Amino acid sequence: MTIGTPARTTGPFAEPEVRVDGRLKVTGEARFLADRVPADTLWMASVRSPYPHARVLHVATDAARVMPGVRAVLTGADLPDVRFGRRLQDWPILAFDRVRFVGDRVAAVAADTPAQAAAAAAAIAIDYEELPPILSIDAATAPGAARIHPDARAYRYLGGDRPPVPHPNVQGHTLTVKGTADIEAVLARADRVFEHRFTTGRQHQGHLEPHGASVWFGPDGVVHVLTTNKAPFSLRAQLATSFGLPPDRIEVDSGYIGGDFGGKGLSLDEGVCLALARATGRPVSSVMTYADELQAANPRHGAVITLRSGVDASGRLVAHAADYRFDGGAYAAGKPMPALTPPGPLTSLSAYEIPDVTIEVTVVYTNTVPAGHMRCPGEVQAAFAGESHIDLMASELGLDPIAFRRLNIAGAGTTDAAGRAIKDPRAAELLDLVARDRAARPPVEAAGAISGTWRRGRGVSLTARHMEGGRMAVRMRAHADGTIEVVTGIPDQGGGAHTMMARVAAAILGLPVERVRVTRRTTATATADLGVGASRVTYIGSQATAAAAAALAERLMELAEGVARTPVASLGAAGFAGPEGTIAAGYDEIVASLGDRSIEVEGTYDSETHRDEPQDFNFAAYDIEVEVDERTGVVRVVDAFLAADVGTIINPVSHRGQVDGGFAFGIGAALLEELGFDEGRVTTVHLGDYKLPTTLDVPVLRTAYLETEGPGAFGAKMAGELSVSGVAPAIANAVADAVGARVTNLPLSPERILDALTAAPRPAAGG
Amino acid sequence: MSAVRYAEPTELAEATALIADPESGAHLVAGGTALVPLLKLGYVQPALLVGMRRLPGLRGIEVRDGVLVIGSLATHAEVSDSALVRAGWPLLASACAAVGTIRIRNQGTLGGNVVHADPNQDPPPALLVLGASARIAGTGGERVVPLRDLFVDIFETVLEPGEILLELRVPPVPVGCRTAYHKFLPRSQDDYATVSVAGLVHMDGDRRVTDARVGVAGAGTRPILAPAVGAALVGEVPTARGIAAAAAAVDDVIDPISDARGSAAYKRAMARVWVERTLGELCDVAIA
Repeated sequence: MTIGTPARTTGPFAEPEVRVDGRLKVTGEARFLADRVPADTLWMASVRSPYPHARVLHVATDAARVMPGVRAVLTGADLPDVRFGRRLQDWPILAFDRVRFVGDRVAAVAADTPAQAAAAAAAIAIDYEELPPILSIDAATAPGAARIHPDARAYRYLGGDRPPVPHPNVQGHTLTVKGTADIEAVLARADRVFEHRFTTGRQHQGHLEPHGASVWFGPDGVVHVLTTNKAPFSLRAQLATSFGLPPDRIEVDSGYIGGDFGGKGLSLDEGVCLALARATGRPVSSVMTYADELQAANPRHGAVITLRSGVDASGRLVAHAADYRFDGGAYAAGKPMPALTPPGPLTSLSAYEIPDVTIEVTVVYTNTVPAGHMRCPGEVQAAFAGESHIDLMASELGLDPIAFRRLNIAGAGTTDAAGRAIKDPRAAELLDLVARDRAARPPVEAAGAISGTWRRGRGVSLTARHMEGGRMAVRMRAHADGTIEVVTGIPDQGGGAHTMMARVAAAILGLPVERVRVTRRTTATATADLGVGASRVTYIGSQATAAAAAALAERLMELAEGVARTPVASLGAAGFAGPEGTIAAGYDEIVASLGDRSIEVEGTYDSETHRDEPQDFNFAAYDIEVEVDERTGVVRVVDAFLAADVGTIINPVSHRGQVDGGFAFGIGAALLEELGFDEGRVTTVHLGDYKLPTTLDVPVLRTAYLETEGPGAFGAKMAGELSVSGVAPAIANAVADAVGARVTNLPLSPERILDALTAAPRPAAGG
Repeated sequence: MSAVRYAEPTELAEATALIADPESGAHLVAGGTALVPLLKLGYVQPALLVGMRRLPGLRGIEVRDGVLVIGSLATHAEVSDSALVRAGWPLLASACAAVGTIRIRNQGTLGGNVVHADPNQDPPPALLVLGASARIAGTGGERVVPLRDLFVDIFETVLEPGEILLELRVPPVPVGCRTAYHKFLPRSQDDYATVSVAGLVHMDGDRRVTDARVGVAGAGTRPILAPAVGAALVGEVPTARGIAAAAAAVDDVIDPISDARGSAAYKRAMARVWVERTLGELCDVAIA
């Protein structure tokens, strides 16, 4: 729960929204993939590798083929060189020569029932020859390391040429330089240089609905795909590439999506279902088990991060050199960015003015579950490292953490590591809000009711996030019955995008929002776009909707002038008004003249047209207070305050949900969530072992918002990835403040805190 | 999950007969909160599920001759909410209240919990400390087994094929005893314990300990009593140092494994901390 006021209490968005899908979801009318599969579907089950790295010698399917209900059995031999992926197609639909992680799919069955499919899959016998697995970032590029992908040169890459990589076991590599190219020379001139190393674990997106798919061939040969994928046009392009089909022969239908958090950008079962549908002539469906989700989907990258910063005599940061090494797992298929790297590191320390910055990002192949994008990809890791690094430097310099941040704060003219100018950076004001809030609270020392071994501490973090864009188009129709229809190709994965579109359209047209309905169309009839991701939807979706609504208003006024035979200057709730503002005609009577016709317009927005302008960033500052038990390492978050710059809030309820949910997500990353591994095998195979935070684990979040003009319609900004990544470093800094122990591994498990305490016991005087 | 047959016997003899053949693949199901997750993960693949809910006389919670008798189908919520239990056996009420969530407590049964023999569960250490025993029926008749002899290994008890737990019997807690249950949840508040400790202490008028018992869960393959811990305190006037020394004896009887809830070393250290804290609380001695 958030305590705080929305940025605006007047204007078109002051009234809390009623979600356009709210009633449907509450009543169960909104049907998710598992409820939408065709009645005559077959069910897919697959055989997965028990080894992290092995050659597939022989797959014996004879017994499975004759089992009850079995309609088809496929192995890698049936799908040679058929691979999938969002950008680099390196993941075989069925492994044909080797398996690369525990959970890699080797064979698949389509049968009448899920149980029959599972029984047949269990009857498939596979001979493997085990290969030495590569299980760590260091091992991937160690001298003599075996190549995990010997045939990488042959892999398809969507959208141009794959950028070169420095080592065969590297998925993606970027070197980003701002200012002086020779960062070592700048560091050598600095008064002091600080170096700190951090590691982070693997984290699953934790969406309630698992991945699923249903695929069939229509009588006209068109492939129909029901999916949980949040980017239907991208999935269509990927399937077309994998199977050599023309994109217009594939229709992708992403219905309601039961949570995403980045994980639903990669499709896992569509390819194998398509192959089985082709083999059987029947629909083939699959819904992943959660055990498979945790073992064989696309969780967050683990990381080893080394940060070095140079500081001058006055405490100003003069140079920053960052080395980010990510564990990309067995396949790069889950990564959508051209360089096949997570984008987060580039905005690390963007809240500060640092003239010379070099950031190297390397993502390696290992024989573990493939890594993909998860809410704030790369940023959770980078913010944890960067904001812990800032506090460590402040401590070593003997400076207050807030004062050290203020000294180096981004201001007018600051550019981020990628050299992008930051529009209106108000990070300093956020620190002021934090300092003011702190001053109003009792000092930590005075909270002495803590008995025995419990200690209190506070920590801050300051993060910056670039708002990604892209191109989006929506169509809008005015119907004779008085309703407005917004037609979009983006699914609403729970973020409230469709409600946002309805409210923006209503606000522009001056009509009650109840008149607007949002229709999601499949790739067959919607206008192509990038889909949901990177917090772009509110930004470009609101702009495209506003453009469509403005165009529709023009057309409606033309219609009104024609029908009412009088000049019309505006459209509003009361109807069409003339130049003097008097109502010339009612809305309903004018549109009734449309009869069977409707007026249709299209609105588009493309952020590329603004590429050379200063870029929009969101800044967020956390101040978190914790209690730490020195004997057990347990951390309780007792207070959390978030100061953030937000734009115009279109959906106040959803906005609060995103900020609160992002905070809970950050608590999970900070304290709880980590996939366990044993020799490459995921050991946390259900949500009883892989813990997500519950309401009891997440305290009330207090907020203060700065109103800034965002790039979206009416000045909107993103919210979905605003409040996530600053949580872990603020907690790490608070723990260090409380007990003097610095934990540099994420999550901050009680055991790690206890280990750090043992390594660096708190000075007796501090107790 | 593949299709299984389901039977719902109405007489005990019918139920014991259905599960008597170990090769038949028959499994008893009471509340199902332990069995259903195992089914879904494929760890258990029964051919026949034998539902217990129509079996007569297994639901009551009553006191007979001072002994608390809990039918094996009583839910955790029924036990923790029972005025009888709260008044006379508050330790058992707290341990049952610590199980899972309200949904689990309303569905899962105390009997099912005990025979499931999950070493991380909450009620067993409390039942051990309270000296409870289990009345068990089989095809050959009935027997009563003290709980300290019931648990064998992870998911394993001394129950033989064809045997059904009928009731748990908990003797009266002597007047003046203090009891406490601590479930250590270092990660989420919705979790199994990393370790948990049940304790009972009786002191005489001179604060000399006359009885001290400690049960531990989560620190080995089965819930256990740590008699040496209690023995070290009996006859003493407890001090922080004495309690710490007594708690150290827990080390000899636990054998934790490393898992998502902590490494074996961490669980070992935490078992000692929580035994110390529990005894400190019960003896009114300040413990760090």
